This record gives sequence, structure tokens and C-alpha cells, in this order.
Amino acid sequence: MAQELNLLATDNRGQSQLEAGMNLAGWDEVTQGTVLTSFEGDATGIANKKAEERTYSDFNSYTASVASWRVQKPVFNRDICIDCQNCWVWCPDSSILSRDKQMLGIDYDHCKGCEVCVEVCPTNPKSLLMFNEHADLEESLAAWPEKKKKEKK
Amino acid sequence: MAVKFDLNEREVWDGNYAASQALRQADVDVVVAYPITPSTPIVENYGAYVGNGYINGEFVMVESEHAAMSGCIGASAAGGRVSTATSSQGFALMAEVLYQASGMRLPIVLNVVNRALASPLNVRGDHADMYLGRDSGWIQFGAFNAQEAYDLALCAFKVGENHSVRLPVMVHQDGFITSHTAQNVYPLTDEKAYEFVGDFVPVDDMLDFSRPVTYGAQTEEDWHYEHKAKQHKALMDSRKVIDEVFAEFKEITGREYNRVESYDMEDADVVIVGLGSTVETARVAAKNMREKGVKAGVVAIRCFRPFPYDEVRDVLQNAKAIAVTDRSSPGGAMGAFFNEVTAAMYTSESRPMVTGFVYGLGGRDFSIEEAERIFAEQQAHADAGHITTEIQQFSGLRGPKLGFFKTARG
Amino acid sequence: MAITSIKNLKEFSTNNDRFEGAHTLCPGCAHSMIVRELMNCTDDNLVISSNTGCLEVSTAVYPFTSWDTSWIHIGFENAATSVTAAQVMHKVRKKKGNLKDNDAPVKFVAFGGDGSTYDIGFQWLSGAMERGHDFTYICLDNENYANTGGQRSSATPVGAHTSTAQAGTHSYGKKQKKKDIVSIMAAHGSPYVAQLAPNKWKSMAKGFQKALEVEGPCFINTVSPCCTEWKFDPKDTINLTDLATDSLMFPIYEIIDSHELNILYRPKNPISVEEYMAAQGRYKHLFKPQYRHIIEEVQKDVDAKWDLLQRREEARL
Repeated sequence: MAQELNLLATDNRGQSQLEAGMNLAGWDEVTQGTVLTSFEGDATGIANKKAEERTYSDFNSYTASVASWRVQKPVFNRDICIDCQNCWVWCPDSSILSRDKQMLGIDYDHCKGCEVCVEVCPTNPKSLLMFNEHADLEESLAAWPEKKKKEKK
Repeated sequence: MAVKFDLNEREVWDGNYAASQALRQADVDVVVAYPITPSTPIVENYGAYVGNGYINGEFVMVESEHAAMSGCIGASAAGGRVSTATSSQGFALMAEVLYQASGMRLPIVLNVVNRALASPLNVRGDHADMYLGRDSGWIQFGAFNAQEAYDLALCAFKVGENHSVRLPVMVHQDGFITSHTAQNVYPLTDEKAYEFVGDFVPVDDMLDFSRPVTYGAQTEEDWHYEHKAKQHKALMDSRKVIDEVFAEFKEITGREYNRVESYDMEDADVVIVGLGSTVETARVAAKNMREKGVKAGVVAIRCFRPFPYDEVRDVLQNAKAIAVTDRSSPGGAMGAFFNEVTAAMYTSESRPMVTGFVYGLGGRDFSIEEAERIFAEQQAHADAGHITTEIQQFSGLRGPKLGFFKTARG
Repeated sequence: MAITSIKNLKEFSTNNDRFEGAHTLCPGCAHSMIVRELMNCTDDNLVISSNTGCLEVSTAVYPFTSWDTSWIHIGFENAATSVTAAQVMHKVRKKKGNLKDNDAPVKFVAFGGDGSTYDIGFQWLSGAMERGHDFTYICLDNENYANTGGQRSSATPVGAHTSTAQAGTHSYGKKQKKKDIVSIMAAHGSPYVAQLAPNKWKSMAKGFQKALEVEGPCFINTVSPCCTEWKFDPKDTINLTDLATDSLMFPIYEIIDSHELNILYRPKNPISVEEYMAAQGRYKHLFKPQYRHIIEEVQKDVDAKWDLLQRREEARL
């Protein structure tokens, strides 16, 4: 869904791995003073622009991917989610895609699979669960557990 | 608007005051400083100009020299003109961040009033601090008197801030001998001085939020080398800009500066190569020697970094015997300056004889008589056709004669 | 100043991320939760500096930056100096009218880990606080030098095992008490000082907004549980922060104008220090019979400090 809404904008998104050091430039091409620019063009008021409205520069890590860090991935189940935004506020990798107070999905280019989002999800059953990295979305949703009865303490 | 500062055509200033006037005239935006003897008055004076409305900048006195240079870096990256001053131990404490300033290509001007490094503690002038900065990626200018401390500070802004250079610049003067000795100085008018230096035009401005910038990224083995090479090339290429700025300065003042200065070198057989206030002593000695029939000359390095190898070789290639003077304890090697000059001369056809003198440590006086003795010794080498002494000697040192390394080569 | 709504999480979540993903902090690292929250709780322009540490080496790895605003790193110790000098330059340039946008509000923020805040950068921080610049310093306190493999810092608590305060047959780990950085910073006369935790997102966002809004040097110590060096599962970062605040190992409070102390979170059912320690590998050795008394000692210390905090709150000094 997030992909359809073009929330993962920019042409080369996820093409480069941070640790791979692709397309290494020579001394004559590296930036002066090791300075990096975050955006292309005028970035005035960037805080009020959504990611899909921004023109990220190739230097912005937004364009890179850390997907290879992941062994398991969180899968999002829209049907159970109450849009509490717990996962959004605690995601350490800016990988929860929320728009207009709605949780829309996961940015798999930036998610490292830490599972914090699953832990902080308050629904029963959880709206986010970890699955094997290569698991199919439909199969994962089909395998979703039932509501758990409250354990008596 | 800043309050007008009245200047006479001729002022009697010491080197510190002269440098501080250059900062005022360049309209430096921010000075971040931690004063240290003997450079203290430079930043104190800037503070006084701010306090009395002579300048619209800000003076920030921080808690250490490390913080002073750290602050200069932050302020410079925020897109304005920045300067400070230091000496000796303060310079040493700054050392870590000197490399950061040049690596980030920030055109900070650092007025260094040269002073010895402890231990033992000493407040007097030698070049130990200047040598400590020689690999830090800064341009290093040497002023031999108060006028030059003023002139070169103005030139330093113009060189460092040039967009094809974008490097920090040190302007060195000798502690006390230059910094605290009042001399005639001919300042430019405020208008002329500022017009020469020009407006500061920021590059990669942290306060331009239409273009956010990241300063100080990490580079490991896949990137670091390329960045350092690019920086080194910028330093090497600054030679052309330095020459242009010196030429422009001559046009408006009549005062000529060269990356290598030479005196009585047209036909010189024997030469003293020096840095700092020593040069003026050696020039007087050379004149005296010429009266005695010795063809003596003096070569002075105005621009210690980038080191002027070509010019040094050109000016010295017809000499017979050269004495290079190092005002810093070399710590188990030949003097660094000796090494630079010798490296330049090794690529010449003539390969004249070169010996090194360590001298003047901790402010020990270097007299005209001693300079004459060194000239005479060079003449003896020239007459004998080989170096008659040890290659490294110590000038003006009490106790048994100290020297190292001998050669049988002519 | 434009302040972003933090009325509830839904409102807060309408803000756009200004700290980008694909940085290289460990999975589950609390540092990025804290930094994200700071950057997302305002839409003012920011100039941010960072000391050397996990955050710095993970967010500006050439040729990538994760920062959507101006950012500078110089050294291990001087983030407070670089950002405050930039603030002074801002003042001068605003006065001279040569900024690109002369009226846009700008906030100046420095980040440091506990190593650079409590130890190596202590002098630089103290100097910047004393000079009274308008900036906010945020310490990401994970109680060790995590970036270099987990050495002890003066923020490491008693009994924790670190690579330079080793637990073994003859040692129970760190022997010295944690430095009380919050009181030290309050003693500088700062208008706003606080200790906050990412599990209490709202009090943290409120504290950040206050610090950004208040004129003068503000300091915030944030608890940043480190799964790598505290040795717990990355998924439990927030659970562990809950244990930290509920055991009162990390009380959440603010000090206004160096005397008005407000406790911002009072656990309804405080848990024991033992329970907090049991959740982390760095305290494993304390559960051996010969070191169990250390847990009791730490508990006594935590109780005494909580008592003192409550009395300070009451006394307003």
C-alpha cells in the first residue's frame, strides 16, 4: 500500500547499500570539505513537507537501504490496527509509514527488523508480527493468530 | 553602523595591536578565543572594539584553546568571517581541531604569536608551535615585523576565503620580539582595507536552510584518502592565489610580498635561510659581511605552507654554502626547516652545501655578531670545497660544542 | 516559535520525519527514538551538532547523511562549543541582515553520549552552559562508551560490567557511583534541566519543546537503553526503559531555574532494582551469592535518591 501511494519516493531509492561503498568517486570528485547536502534544490520549509514531496539528494540516507540487516521482517495487519501510533513514535529507523493519523505500512528499505514495533503494539492479537524475511504477505496474514484471552494474574 | 576608528597615516603599533587592527578592518564577525601570552592583546583588543562599538561582531571568550578553535569552526561553518589568536601551549591544545578546520575547508584566520613549547615552561618566542602546525593543512604565513603582521592578516582573509582555496590561514609573528615591540606601521584606511579583503561569501552555509548541509562526516579507508588528497591539492594550488593576492596588495600599498623573500641574493655565495624576526638580524649581518668582501645573502620564507620548493631552489641554486636556521628543538632529527630546504636543493643541478643551525630556543637572542659568524663559517665551507663542521650545529648555546652528523662530501 | 502538536500520538504522528532511516545505529537503538522525537517535535530550522559517539558515526557515514537539517560534528568533546558558536554567528548575521532568511526561527541543539557529556566533553559543556548561549544540550545516556565496545564512563552505575570495569572472581564490576549530571547542570543556573525517558514519549516531547522554547542554555539527560552493551533483546528497548523508570533507577523530572524541581512520573507500582537488573546481561554476575549484596546496596541508594528528589520537589530548592 505504501508503495502504491508513492510514499517511498525518489528514483534510486534503496539502490545503494550503506556498507557496500558503490560508485566510489576519485579525489577530484569527492565533495569539498567532506560536506554533504541533504536535498536537491530549494529545501526551505522541508519540515513541513512529507517525504514524497521532498527532493532528497543522493547523499541522503533516505535513498539508501539497510534491508540486508534483516533476518525477520515485521508484517502489518491493517484489519486489526487501531492507529495508536505507538509503532510510529518508537520505531528507531523512521520506518513506520503514517499519513493523516493512519498507519499505512512499513518502509522495508529502512527497517532493520528490531521488532520494537511488535513489542509496543497494544492490540490483541497484535497488528504487527515478525515473519521470515521471505514470507509472502497473503500467507503471513492467513497465518495471523486469533485473539488471546487475557491471562489471569 | 560601527563607530569610526581614527587612524593616522603612520601609527606606532606592536605586532599584536597591528594584527587586532586588521581583524577590525576586515570586519570579522566572530572571534572565539582563549587568550594566552604573548598573543593575548590581539583578542583583548578585538573585544575592546566590540565593547566600544568599533565593530559589529561578537567576541566569545571560552574556557580553553581547544574550545576556541572548536568555536571558530562552528562559527565559520555558520557562514561568517572568523578569526582568533594563540601561542605555544594553547596552540598545542588546539592541535586536534586545527586538522578539523582545514579538513572541513573553513577559512579561519589564526594569528599565531610564536612561543616555545614546554617543558621547561617558557613564554618567549621560538618556532616550536609553528612547526607543530606544519602538517595540519593550514596555509602558514610568516611576518617578520609589526607592519607585516598587519599586512599579512589582511591578505590571509583574502587568500583563505577565495572560493578556489577555502582553507584556514595562520599568520605567524615572533613572541615579544615582534608582538610586543612598538614599530612604525602604515595602516590602510578602513575603507581601503575592507575593499581589499572584500565581503565574506559563504560556501556550504549551515544557516542557509534552503540547503541543509552535513559537516564532519565519517570516512574510512574507502573515502578518507581521496578527501585528504583533494585537500592537499587545494593547499598546493593556493600558491597561485597567494601570488595574486600579494600582487594586488602591492598595487594598493606599494608593499611587496613574495612566498620566498630574498635579500642580496643576486651574486651571493653564502646564505642564511631563516624564518621570522631572525631575518632582519641576518639582513644586517649580510650587509656587514659584504663590507668585509663576503658575498652574503639572506633568504626568508614568507609562506611556510604550502612550502615554496621551486622558488627556494631557484633562489639558492647559485649559492655555495647555505645555513638553514631552525628555531625549534628538532627532537632527534635534523630541523624540519633544514629538511625542507635540503629537499629543495637536492633537486637542483648545483646541489650546494647545506648545514643546519638550531638557535634561539625559548627566546634566546640571535645577535648580528652570531649571524656574521655563521656567514664566515659558510665562507669557510665554500673555500674548503666541503663542509668543515658538523651538519647540525647549535648556535648561541652555552657549554661544550654540540653538533651531529658529518660528511666528507664536497 | 512554531511548535508541533503533541496533544496525543495521533496528532504527533502527522509530523514529517526529519531524521532519516538507513542510518547505521544498531537495531532497536534508543538513540534514534530520542533524536527522532526531538526533531519531530518542532518545525523550526535546526542547527544540530553531535559529539563523537554512536549517533555521530552512524548518521553521517560518507557519502550519506541522515540529517534533514544542518549538522556538524568536530570531535569527541566539543559539540556544545561548535553549536553555540554557530548560534553567536547567527546573532551577528541576523543583526547585519545577511542571512538567507533573516526572520526564520532557528534552534540550536547539541547531542552527546554519556562518555562525551559526563567525561571528555564535560568542560566544553560546562563552558557553554556558563556562557548562557541559547541552546539545548541533549545527552543520550546509555551509561557506557558503546561506540568503542562498552568501556565504563562516569555515567556507568554501580555493579555494571563493562570492558574497563570488569566483573569477575575478584570484582563486581563498576565500583563508583554514577555522576549526578542533572544537578551539576542545574547548578550552572540553567533555566531548564531535565531527565527524560523515551518510553514516556509525551513528557519527553514536552521537555524537548520547553527546552527549545526557553531562552538560555538547557540540558536534558535522556535514558537510552543500549541493547548491545546492556545485553538485552533489541525488541525490548521500550520494555527495558519501562523497567528503568519504574524501578526509579531513572527518575523522570525537571528542574526549572535551578530550583523548581518537578517529578514528571511517579510509578504506581514501583518495581525493585533487582527486577530491572535481572533483565540485563551486564548485571548477571550480581546474582551470584558473593555479589548479591551489591543489588541491595544499589536499591538503598536508589531509595535514598528518590526520597531526596521528593524532598527537593517539596522544598523547591
